[in-house]
Amino acid sequence: MPQETMLDQTPDGLMLAVARGDRSALARLFETEAGRLIAIARRIVRRQDLAEEAVQDGFVSAWQSAARFDPQRGTARAWLTTIVRNRALNLIRNDARLEFHDAEDVAAIGDRAADAMAAMNQLSDRDALKSCLGELDEPKRQAILLCYVTGLDHGEVAATMKAPLGTVKSWIRRGVIALQECLS
Amino acid sequence: MSRDEQMAKAGRFVLGLMEGLEAQSFEAEMQADPALAAMVGKLAKTMQALDDTAEPAAIPKRMWDKIETRIAALPQEAPVAAGNVVAFDRAGGKPRRTVSPWRFAAMAATAVLALGLGYLAGARLAAPPEPVAFAVLLNESDAMPGAIVQAYADDSVMLRPLRGFDVPDGKILQVWTLPDRETGPVSLGTLSRQAATRLQGPDLPLPHEGQLYEITLEPSPGSPTGRPTGPILVKGYARFSPSS
Repeated sequence: MPQETMLDQTPDGLMLAVARGDRSALARLFETEAGRLIAIARRIVRRQDLAEEAVQDGFVSAWQSAARFDPQRGTARAWLTTIVRNRALNLIRNDARLEFHDAEDVAAIGDRAADAMAAMNQLSDRDALKSCLGELDEPKRQAILLCYVTGLDHGEVAATMKAPLGTVKSWIRRGVIALQECLS
Repeated sequence: MSRDEQMAKAGRFVLGLMEGLEAQSFEAEMQADPALAAMVGKLAKTMQALDDTAEPAAIPKRMWDKIETRIAALPQEAPVAAGNVVAFDRAGGKPRRTVSPWRFAAMAATAVLALGLGYLAGARLAAPPEPVAFAVLLNESDAMPGAIVQAYADDSVMLRPLRGFDVPDGKILQVWTLPDRETGPVSLGTLSRQAATRLQGPDLPLPHEGQLYEITLEPSPGSPTGRPTGPILVKGYARFSPSS
């Protein structure tokens, strides 16, 4: 029997194979996950090249740190997503952010808000997250989505929503508490 | 910490609003408090449903090739026994035990840094101190400025391109300095993209007035000899601002 068929082809199985030094397993994970991860990173970094960089760096980190992946703590897809999200946030929280902010126009800010809202609207109606987000006041919901989906920080949310920084911080604080109360 | 305070912090952590020392200390709190770690884990898992709404993008051709090249010579961290995960502390490099899955992800994201790949260095560092020297790198042929180097006391430099460089496939921009004739040219790192980039150079004496900096075009992923082998695109000499 060819050995191929013995391999666990689920993302978790592939990630465990990567931890054993199997580069081809990482290649297969890349084929199935990279498109989704590029899209997630792009919502944050807003540039195709930076999104690809975040995903590339993420797969290199996943290769190096594969031994840390533990399927009992979460799925391989979630693990990869967290790595790529962190990398994307790091990219925009550095000097690169300043550059594209200079060039960013009103339309691009509108795109962020639209992306953030579209992400919520696309959640399944059965998803508790959707109904709990739906129970929040509009500003709290929007501030939380702008942070999570598009990677804005407090100051950028304040600029985008044209609200004072202290107000935004308070929206987010009260919003995440209410969200967790609702989810539990 | 009150339950509200815990939920507020968990929220900021998962939303990516915690950085630097605050994130590190929160990660330490999670390690010490499994209930807190579980609270954060639950929120993060729930929020990932939003990630899953992203319409998958086309995967660029040759993107995997680049990853394959980068991991070809890159060792993996040693496997660890289940339940006894050892992470390397970035600052000290000392192994220590950790239980938080968030630590795994955070460390994975910084693992590349730990191995000293120059072009990622500084990605999680705090705001830099004042530069100790500046150099404007000029184009050899028309003496037009092509890049600015700000050199810092910690051997790092911030390099800002002032124009686009033509980098053919398979080539990469590499930044060099010449501390003195005897040492010869020393690589400060390569530019993976043409944007302001912080590079962490090797341990060198503080730059001196007139120290040479240059950018050459080298075969990717960097000069095979450790010395400049390709054409010099721009070069310039360190200057100190009068106040420093």
